[in-house]
Parts: sequence; C-alpha cells; structure tokens
Amino acid sequence: MSALLQAELLKLRTTRTFAALIGSATVVSLLVLVLGTTLSDFETEEDVRAAFAGDFTGLFILLLGAMGMAGEWRHKTITSTILAAPDRLRLLVAKAVSYAMAGVVVSFVITAALMIVGTVILSSRDQVTLDSATLLDIMWRNLVVSAYLGALGVLIGTIVRSQVVAIVGILIFAFVVEFTLFGLVPDVAKFSPLNGAPGGVIDVSFDGDQTDLLAPGIAALVMLGWVSTLFAAGAALLRGRDLT
Amino acid sequence: MRHHAPAMATVEIRELSKRFGKVDAVRHLSFDVQAGRVTGFLGPNGAGKSTTLRALLGLIRPTAGTATFDGKRYEELEHPSAAVGAVLEDASFHPGRSARNHLRVLATTGRHPASRVDEVLSAVGLGDAADRRVKGYSMGMKQRLGIAAALLGDPEVLLLDEPTNGLDPPGIAWMRGMVREQAAQGRAVLISSHLLAEVSQSVDDVVVIANGELRAQGTLDAVLGGDDAPETEVSSEDQDTLAAALTAAGATVQRDRDKLLVPGMTPAQVGAIAAKAQVTVLGLAPRARSLEQAFMALTAERRS
Ligand SMILES: Nc1ncnc2c1ncn2[C@@H]1O[C@H](COP(=O)(O)OP(=O)(O)OP(=O)(O)O)[C@@H](O)[C@H]1O
Ligand SMILES: [Mg+2]
Repeated sequence: MSALLQAELLKLRTTRTFAALIGSATVVSLLVLVLGTTLSDFETEEDVRAAFAGDFTGLFILLLGAMGMAGEWRHKTITSTILAAPDRLRLLVAKAVSYAMAGVVVSFVITAALMIVGTVILSSRDQVTLDSATLLDIMWRNLVVSAYLGALGVLIGTIVRSQVVAIVGILIFAFVVEFTLFGLVPDVAKFSPLNGAPGGVIDVSFDGDQTDLLAPGIAALVMLGWVSTLFAAGAALLRGRDLT
Repeated sequence: MRHHAPAMATVEIRELSKRFGKVDAVRHLSFDVQAGRVTGFLGPNGAGKSTTLRALLGLIRPTAGTATFDGKRYEELEHPSAAVGAVLEDASFHPGRSARNHLRVLATTGRHPASRVDEVLSAVGLGDAADRRVKGYSMGMKQRLGIAAALLGDPEVLLLDEPTNGLDPPGIAWMRGMVREQAAQGRAVLISSHLLAEVSQSVDDVVVIANGELRAQGTLDAVLGGDDAPETEVSSEDQDTLAAALTAAGATVQRDRDKLLVPGMTPAQVGAIAAKAQVTVLGLAPRARSLEQAFMALTAERRS
C-alpha cells in the first residue's frame, strides 16, 4: 500500500492542477476572509469560528479529488494506472487516502493563513478574537473535514468518470440541492454529505442556525457512512468495468 | 541484463471468449506464446487482437476461458510490472506531466529503482526530451514513452499492440531490433499487427485471427510460407516454342509480359522440358506466393 500511496502523491505533485487549485483556494479563501473581517462586525466567538471554517477550501479539495480521479479517464491514464496496480480495490483506497492526505495539507496551510490574517485584522479593529486553544480546536475540525472531502471527491470521480459532470454535479448538489434541503427539511439536511455532516463536525451551520447541526461525534459517524457508501459504489463500478 | 532460462509456454490463452453486447469480439481462442521467441499476432482490423491482449492484462473480463502467465492471471502476479510489460494501442499519458515524472510514478508503484527511469529513457531515445511535458510530444515520441514504461520493470513477457503506430522508418527498424534483442535474452514477445509486412521480418511464430477466431498458428514459414502448389517463372530465347512444349507436357501456361508462368511445375520440370525442346533458358525461378497473399487468404471472410 505504501508504494501505491507514494505513487499517487507523486502524481499529485507532478502536474500543475494541484498547485493551481491550492493557489486558487488560498486566494479565494483569503479574499473572502479579508473582506469579511474588514467590513463586518464580529461580536461573538461564533462569528469568528465561521470565518475560520474554510468552506471554500473544502469545496476546492472536493473538486481536486473528483477532478483527479475523473481525470484518469479523461486522459486515459486509467489503463496504465491499473496495469501498474491491478488490484483495483487497493488502488481506490490508495487514491482516496492520498487525496485525503492532500486535503489535510492544503487545509492546514490555508486555515493557518486565515487564522493569522484574520486575527491580525480583527484585533486591529478591536473585534472579538479567539484564544489559541479555540484556534487549535477549529484547526483539527477543519483537517478532519478536509480529509473526508478529499476522499469523497475521489469516490465521486470514480462513479461519475467525467470531470465536467463531477464539477457541475458537485456545485449543484452543494449549493442548490443541499441549500434547498436546509430550507425545507433541516432535520434531513443536517445529514447531507457536503454541508450538513461536515457542518456538524466544524460546528458551524450552513445558514447560521446552530440548531440545524448534528453533534460532532454523530456528524463524524455520518461522514464515515457517506464515505463507506460511496466507496462501496465506486469499488463495485471500478471492479466490474471493462477498460477498452 | 538478466538472461532468462528458457521456460515452457509463458503465456497461455485457453478457450478465450469475449462478447461486447451483441459483438463476439473473441471466440474460443487458444494459443501459446513461447519464451525466447517473437510471436506475431496478426489479423485484420476488428479481428479481436486488442481485446485478447486486454483480457490477458486483466483490463477486460473474459466472457469465458482463461489467459494466464505461467498459470497465473495478471491480477494474481506478485510483481506485475516485473513480469509483464505492455504497450497498448492508445498509450496515453497525462499531458501536463513530463516523461521522466510519468516513469517515476510507475517506478514508485512497481518498486523499481529510480535509476531504471534514466536507463529506459535512453534506451528508447527519449533522454533529451525527458523533462518536457508530454503535451508537446509527437506521436512517435509518445509511442517510445509507452515502450519505455513497458521496459521499466525488465519484464519477462512483452505484449505490444501495434507498437509501430506513429513510428518513422528508423523508429520501426529500431523497434524490430529491440524486439529481436528482447527475445534473444529469453523473453517472450507478443506483437500484434494488422500489417504482416511490418512484423514478418522480426517474428518467429505467428498466430493469425480473424473475426475473433483462430485461423492459423505456427512458425512464420509453416503458416504463411508453406506452399503446396509450385509455380515457376521462366524466360527463354524462344518463348513461343517453349510455351508449346510446356502445353504439350500438360501445363497451363500464362504469359506475363516477357515471362511465362507455369503453375503446377517446379523449375526442374520446366528446365527439363526446355532442354528437350532445345530452347535456351535465360531465367528460371520458383515463384513464391507472397506472404501477404497467404495472409489475405487466411483472414478472408468465410462464407458458409
Ligand atoms: N468496448 C467495446 N464495446 C463494443 N464492441 C467492442 C468494444 N471493444 C471492441 N469491440 C469490438 O470487438 C471487435 C474486436 O475489436 P478489437 O479492438 O479487439 O480488434 P483489433 O483486432 O484490435 O482491431 P484493430 O486492428 O483495428 O486494432 C470489434 O468488432 C470491435 O468493434
Ligand atoms: Mg486493436
């Protein structure tokens, strides 16, 4: 497994997609943070938590995983990948784990940047800031969610196999389907894979209503359920597929 | 380079069948590929060559039958890239990755020493282009990169699906030499083509398929050279007299410009008749049915 994992991480590092996505994620996340912390008032710890939650980072990591896996079909590299690693189940695990690891690294870098820049701006404006224990708490929650989203992206890419469909599908699901669900049936929406369960772990609600959230432990279990379900579906499809 | 002890049948295809929907791509196909020999896998477009190779590599699941390496399916091989190297038809690489990085990824997966990357890059003549992104490669360069990837694990079996696609004449000559060298070192080489002429100079054995079915297998000479009916080509100082003499001896003579074609007779028989008719012979030669003709005949549509 470690050789496969190393190879997948090497793949990530040897194209520009990874660097480009991290770059965009950092820029977008920082931009949103700087605008928010400069223009609006932060009166409670909850406000600050929400600013450091790294929603955009999560979305980028999810897209990175989906594009990475669907890209194997787009560039027809899946054949050479499977020839090198004929056990498709192990291959899928390695892919999912490598993107989970990439998610953790990206999230760590960006969250740290958000915290430093945000705290500097907020304290200069005499707004509420967080102590280091709270920052650490936010950090590990972000890392858990990022690992989850990296793996989830890979599994979505395995099932969908088209980069365009994966990207459009993820955006529609995250911003239209789940958003609507939160409006109509919040009790169901809090279990949703992209905003609901991750929101429970991060302890920041999609629409600012804390009562909509699952407890972090339950939310983590729900995320595990989503990953397992998509893994089972992705593995079944990948194993049964003829590569012609 | 390691020398391999001559093994028995390295690659075994047994009763292999693959159906795609309504298409029987391969039907009850059985053949072997021997170590130390180059086997040409021949058949017209759509004959089922790529399907067979992909089934052998575990990329597609056979409808029936088996395809194994020393009795093991590809997925069961302990170290697949050290056992089998393959170049498939549409070898594809991430356009944004360099050749060197592509091979580094494969070397990492296959646990091959990093030094192999440079070895195979120079072996295929890509040393200078190794750090350029594959996006800018010509078709022939991509083909060479595919071959480098196949050679990375120094495998015992090489499977090449139309490997000369996109190669220039020097590239084709290089490919032939490489294939011969690999076989001479004891490896089993299976090389597919729909053009007999492309492989006839480098193969020992041939397997001919058409419509997913085996048409012939054996040594190149036995399958495509063997010609039961002799045909002789003769030119002489007096073609009319010779033609009359041959016809009198029971031959059907055809005229081909200044030559006479005599099907059914050997040069010795034609020479004897010419001598008896006192005609001076200028040229006398057996006419081999061309390999290409034999190949066409073997793979022609069968009407039942
Ligand atoms: N994925 C697929 N779905 C449906 N039919 C297929 C598929 N792959 C191959 N076939 C069919 O199977 C048959 C054999 O195809 P294959 O690619 O093995 O031929 P080939 O001998 O490699 O031909 P060529 O010389 O053109 O490469 C063809 O009739 C082809 O249309
Ligand atoms: Mg083919």
